[in-house]
Amino acid sequence: MKVLGIDTSGYANAIGVADGDRVLADRVYAARSDSLKQIVANIDSVLREAGLSLEEIQGIGVGLGPGSWTGIRVGVTVGKMLAFSTGKQVCGVPTLEALAFSARDAGSPVCAVIDAGAGGIIYAGRYNVAQGKIARMGDYYVGDIQGLAASLSQRTVLVGARASEYKREMSASQAKDEVPRGADVALLAAQRLERNESDDALALAPLYLKEWTAKALSVQG
Amino acid sequence: MLVLGIETSCDETSAALVADGKEILSNVIATQLDLHRKYGGVVPEIAARRHAELIGYVVKEALDAGGKALSDVEAIAVTARQGLIGSLLVGVAAAKSLSYALHLPLIGVHHIEAHIFANLLSNPQIPVPHVCLTVSGGHTLLVYVRDYCQYELLGGTLDDAAGEAFDKIAKFLGLGFPGGPVIDRLATNGNREAFRFPRPMLKANNLDFSFSGLKTAIINTFKQSIARGEELPLEDIAASFQEAVVEVLVAKTVRAARRKQASTISVTGGVSANRRLREVFTEACRREGIQVFFPPLSLCTDNAAMIAAAGYARMQKGWRDDLNLDVIPSIPLEVQDGRGN
Repeated sequence: MKVLGIDTSGYANAIGVADGDRVLADRVYAARSDSLKQIVANIDSVLREAGLSLEEIQGIGVGLGPGSWTGIRVGVTVGKMLAFSTGKQVCGVPTLEALAFSARDAGSPVCAVIDAGAGGIIYAGRYNVAQGKIARMGDYYVGDIQGLAASLSQRTVLVGARASEYKREMSASQAKDEVPRGADVALLAAQRLERNESDDALALAPLYLKEWTAKALSVQG
Repeated sequence: MLVLGIETSCDETSAALVADGKEILSNVIATQLDLHRKYGGVVPEIAARRHAELIGYVVKEALDAGGKALSDVEAIAVTARQGLIGSLLVGVAAAKSLSYALHLPLIGVHHIEAHIFANLLSNPQIPVPHVCLTVSGGHTLLVYVRDYCQYELLGGTLDDAAGEAFDKIAKFLGLGFPGGPVIDRLATNGNREAFRFPRPMLKANNLDFSFSGLKTAIINTFKQSIARGEELPLEDIAASFQEAVVEVLVAKTVRAARRKQASTISVTGGVSANRRLREVFTEACRREGIQVFFPPLSLCTDNAAMIAAAGYARMQKGWRDDLNLDVIPSIPLEVQDGRGN
């Protein structure tokens, strides 16, 4: 099954194409001030690189976040409207899950960490990854890095854009500096689609993990 | 030509189907007013979140209500200029996705330009050139419409938009949000002459506006009333405040028409729904021998039908955008994209 995967949770355009468990293309267009304007044009470029047209894709995977609130809204809207206008199936993939999946060969457990962009707050999710399958353990974490450190085992593999930096503050065994990849979103979406699971395109919603509050006005991501 | 319009520049999520720039097949507007009311104004993050939740449903509803399928749509028009950036981004992302997936032309529209078209949708006989006053919670602009898609800015507000003044006064008086409708209603039973509030910049020899000083004058009057232990004459304050705003808006618009030797005025935007504004405009224009047009109430506030109409007009000029269409939160209408002048 050929699946397009996209994630704009960090403003960067992470776009990949997978066919079953095989990656056909995988690009990360670095975050720039105009990144969110480029996403659809970049999707076209990556599909061409994979030798496919949008019509030849069977499903769409969308990174839901957490991350930049504006970024995930754009990614989710693009995934939602591409699915709606082509009638293709769509799967929302939590960005932390896609990030953790990128460390699938590093051993388990994996903790994916995304910077919330304000006040030293991070988003994190702990996962078991084995034989190409991934499962989250417990709830998502939103808080400071010290709070996360207290709850992680020494065997944990830390993955995220600033994993090495965060590893210094905790006892994790390894750090893997990595950003979310479109191909990982596509691979995880393909797994779900092959199990005949999909999401309602129109209802697809960002995973903010942080409610908006009046106080958050000054620190929004 | 069937154009799907999308509007998400502020706090209305809207999609519409308009045929040939004039026939509205559907115009679905999901308002977020209830979400913003308790904050006394539009909160950008709340607005953007709601747009992302609703956009797909609203587009589908516009198709269903218009009795059309996606395959009937021939172009996508979207508000890309002037508005809250996080809100604009959702609509533009949706429009690009539709344009790409369906291989349809994409046209970015300036929000104010679309308000000018709101009036044309319901009054196709409006001639050009004419003078257009766009007056809403976000804008107070006097534009000379030389031709459709050709604009000359005549004047604008130096501080608050007129609708913003209504909102702020209503908030101060504890009347809720938005302020326009509630002040309009209260003013009906008030005495317009009870307070002689300033008419800001009425005598200035330009076509600009300023409403923040008026707001201060009202707040002072209100505080003096309280200090004297008087009962607060809310209806009189509302009527007198509204009269001051209306008088300035009408006088300057008529002055603009005289200067441009235009025999037609159109008034658009949310504040153009105000009953006293319509009454005073109608009377002043009758005296001056000027024709004045207002959109129906359904097209006064933000809606996607006007976006589709403006997009169609731009397409008629041969203008198209592509997947690199940019989102610009603030840019003057007359220089919006180097075209049309």
